[in-house]
Amino acid sequence: MQSLAFAYRQLNALILGKNDAIKLALACLIARGHLLIEDVPGVGKTTLAHGLARVLGLDYRRVQFTSDLLPADIVGVNIFEREAGTFHFHRGPVFAQVLLADEINRASPKVQSALLEAMEERQVSVDGETHALPQPFFVIATQNPIEQAGTFPLPESQMDRFLMRIALGYPPPQAERALLLGEERRRVMDELVPALSPEQLQQLQAQASRLTVSPALADYVLALLQATRQERRFAQGLSPRAGLALVAAARAWALLEGRDYVLPDDVKAVFPAVAGHRLAAIVPGGDRVPGDELAALVAHVAIP
Amino acid sequence: MTGGDALRRVLPVLAALAVTAAPLALHLPGWVAALSAAMLLARGVLLWQQRQLPPRWLVALAVVVPLVLLWLTLRTLVGREGGSALLLLLVGFKAFETFSLRDWRVLLALGFFLAATPLLFDQSPLAAAWLVQSLLCLTWAMAALNGRQPLLASLRTTLQALLFSLPLMLVLFVVMPRLPGPLWGMPAADESANSGLAEDMAPGSISQLILNHEPVFTAVFAGPPPPRRDFYWRVMLFDRFDGSRWLNAGALTEPRGQTRGGIPVSYTLTVVPDKGRVPVLDLPGGVAEGLTERAGMVWQQARASDARIRFRADSRAGALLVEPLDAMQHAFYRFLPAGNERALALAASIRARSRDDEAYIRAVLEHFRLESFRYTLSPPPLSGAIVDQFLFETRQGFCEHYASALAFLARAAGIPSRVVVGYQGGEYNSAGEFWQIRSSDAHAWVEVWLASRQAWWRVDPTAAVSPDRIERGVEQAVPAARTAMPMLGGRPPEWMLALRQHWLAANFAWQQWVVGYDAGRQRSLFRSLGLGQEVDVPAVLKGLLAGAVLMVMPFLWWWRQQAKREPLQQGWLLLGRRLRRVEVVIAPSDTPAEVLLRAASLAEAEHGQLAALLEAYACLRYRTSGEASPEAVRCWLRAVRCFRPGRAMNGKTPAGRG
Repeated sequence: MQSLAFAYRQLNALILGKNDAIKLALACLIARGHLLIEDVPGVGKTTLAHGLARVLGLDYRRVQFTSDLLPADIVGVNIFEREAGTFHFHRGPVFAQVLLADEINRASPKVQSALLEAMEERQVSVDGETHALPQPFFVIATQNPIEQAGTFPLPESQMDRFLMRIALGYPPPQAERALLLGEERRRVMDELVPALSPEQLQQLQAQASRLTVSPALADYVLALLQATRQERRFAQGLSPRAGLALVAAARAWALLEGRDYVLPDDVKAVFPAVAGHRLAAIVPGGDRVPGDELAALVAHVAIP
Repeated sequence: MTGGDALRRVLPVLAALAVTAAPLALHLPGWVAALSAAMLLARGVLLWQQRQLPPRWLVALAVVVPLVLLWLTLRTLVGREGGSALLLLLVGFKAFETFSLRDWRVLLALGFFLAATPLLFDQSPLAAAWLVQSLLCLTWAMAALNGRQPLLASLRTTLQALLFSLPLMLVLFVVMPRLPGPLWGMPAADESANSGLAEDMAPGSISQLILNHEPVFTAVFAGPPPPRRDFYWRVMLFDRFDGSRWLNAGALTEPRGQTRGGIPVSYTLTVVPDKGRVPVLDLPGGVAEGLTERAGMVWQQARASDARIRFRADSRAGALLVEPLDAMQHAFYRFLPAGNERALALAASIRARSRDDEAYIRAVLEHFRLESFRYTLSPPPLSGAIVDQFLFETRQGFCEHYASALAFLARAAGIPSRVVVGYQGGEYNSAGEFWQIRSSDAHAWVEVWLASRQAWWRVDPTAAVSPDRIERGVEQAVPAARTAMPMLGGRPPEWMLALRQHWLAANFAWQQWVVGYDAGRQRSLFRSLGLGQEVDVPAVLKGLLAGAVLMVMPFLWWWRQQAKREPLQQGWLLLGRRLRRVEVVIAPSDTPAEVLLRAASLAEAEHGQLAALLEAYACLRYRTSGEASPEAVRCWLRAVRCFRPGRAMNGKTPAGRG
């Protein structure tokens, strides 16, 4: 637990004034989920991804997604080796513990689906041969919500593969001032020390999945799901899979809070990040639900 | 309460007050209603824009102006109009010094008083329906003001609360002792507002009424109704003719008449007395309770009021009114002023060829029938020697013309006579099994005194000219009356008539059972329920006791619902109620941690207590994957019961929170 707190402290020193987003990102990884960061360039998406990999002691690859990227560029390819006279599998960047998929919506749907399949299955198949991905395996994808020309927005079914979607947003003025006056970010990044080993991280993940979820809390999650299904503003409600994701994320959050049981507060804390990208609003133009509507929805669901 | 939350909670209060006060606009001076509406609207706009309230001294000063205006308009600040207008204006001003939750509750409580005031003006089913709606709106606003539920969910709570109070309302309605008279000395309504019979009879006075289709009274016969030709309802007597009008001189103060013959009829009338006068079927027997009999067997209230009354009466349809006249009275009923010579000459000529008084009257009726007299609603106007003009020139008239002419001709021949004004006929409502008599049934006829029988004999000259009028009602007799009816183009369609009958029947039942539930009815209900012979304290207590069972039932149901809840849930709700008492309002979506944040205003010790309670709750509820241990829950529940925030604070300041 101390190591987790240490990791959190270091990340906060790297990205200033974004405690909640950092905590959500950590919770997402502890819940074995993939993270989608949706924001404008320059607010520290890549820095966060890189920082996370470093403090968790994981190896890290970055792929800049473009429209001419091929699935093989991500997954890897079988190459014939003349000396051996056999095909040898050359691993793609997906074989990393943390993969940063930058601007995921710029790649063609073919590439996107290859990646997303790898995310879900935690393995890749090339020419009928299955290759397991390393443990742990995280994808941190980013996309720019404003610049939409020449992009392929992720379809709803694939949005579901990400446990959370968070936005970083501009830092508060105080933090931005400190950023301007402080050390260069690259230096700070280099100073980051791994706070835990991959094994410890896996232990924490297992610990989180064992946290107590009381019947009352399950009822609360059910009530939230039900509310999204009855709300007429949404094209469709949350799926049972989304419910499972919500509980997993809430457990991770409770672990970060240092509790061995889950409170409705934990569910409330992770709900916007977990539900936001899964719910599509019936508003012309607005494809995803803004935080205000989610907050209103939460405010109308009674705590059992 | 701040911002949008306050708006959501408080705007319904203003809206409910507006709905509640709306019917008063029909009864109060226009500016009072307009000003009050404007004030409620203005308060709403201030809230909307989150502006400051005007300073208190300004509000206090501003109150004076409408009060002075009100005094100038009504000349009073009490009574029905004055009091209601004052209440309405003060509610409007109160809204301007309403800020805290407590203030808004006070304003809502005023609204409940306001809801009752329209009933002082109008007790129709529509007014009652509006009252129910007002109660719904006010209670809903109360629930919205609590801000614990979204608006639609609070409607459910509201309906439930009203449903719960329904038995209480019914029991109190039945059991609360009725006062024999009106509850307080409400000044009677403006006389000109009544569309009753006129104080005198001049040509045209009744034909105006014919155009009016207002219901006047209803009658329910205990047995079979009398034949149609005996449907005469007497209201007033006119015994003096001054040359242009018939008046009531009131010469005879002692009622001395007796009835002879006729068919006994028993019936119940429901009527709003017109200046104390009530109709009664020709000819009545003993006088009903609360009424007095005046000379000529017309009935009057002992104390005039404009409240609807209901009474039982017995009459003998088609009876003779036996009343010996002394010389003075004889002369009085024969008196005629000078003028109308041609009519006098006509009387002399008919008299000369008539055997006796009765034959003379029959001859005059024959004269009306044979000569070209016409029954019409719009006769040419008469002036000067009106009897002469009518008998020899225009020969067109309505019941009052014929009655006036016949009474004149009788007197001219030395026969005592008088004009009786009242109603003739009525419409049977088969849906409600009652007779409805309307303004358009107003009628005038004549009574002549026959020395041979020592009795008054009813003679209806209109029957001689237009038998249809008597047998089938005015709509059949006069084409003009038909076109003057509210529906253009003659008779309204059947379905509309049926609808009207049902509406009237509902109205009648309402008058009968709700408005007409007076001391007498209460007594008879108490007797039939076996509560006691009189409505006295033991009987009322017995009634309340019996009603208590009814009243308690919804609460039993509620308790059972409560008991079904698990103890943890009960304690959580109890905690919420305790906190609400110290104005810490928590939403159903609040988690324990959020409740603690909301209760930041509590004293430090209490805050600490609350924190411990909430943490324990969170553990009991969320730390187990099954049910929490019953002992721990009981222990926690005890702790919650002991937690009474605000106690210490109230103890220090006896006045409590302002």
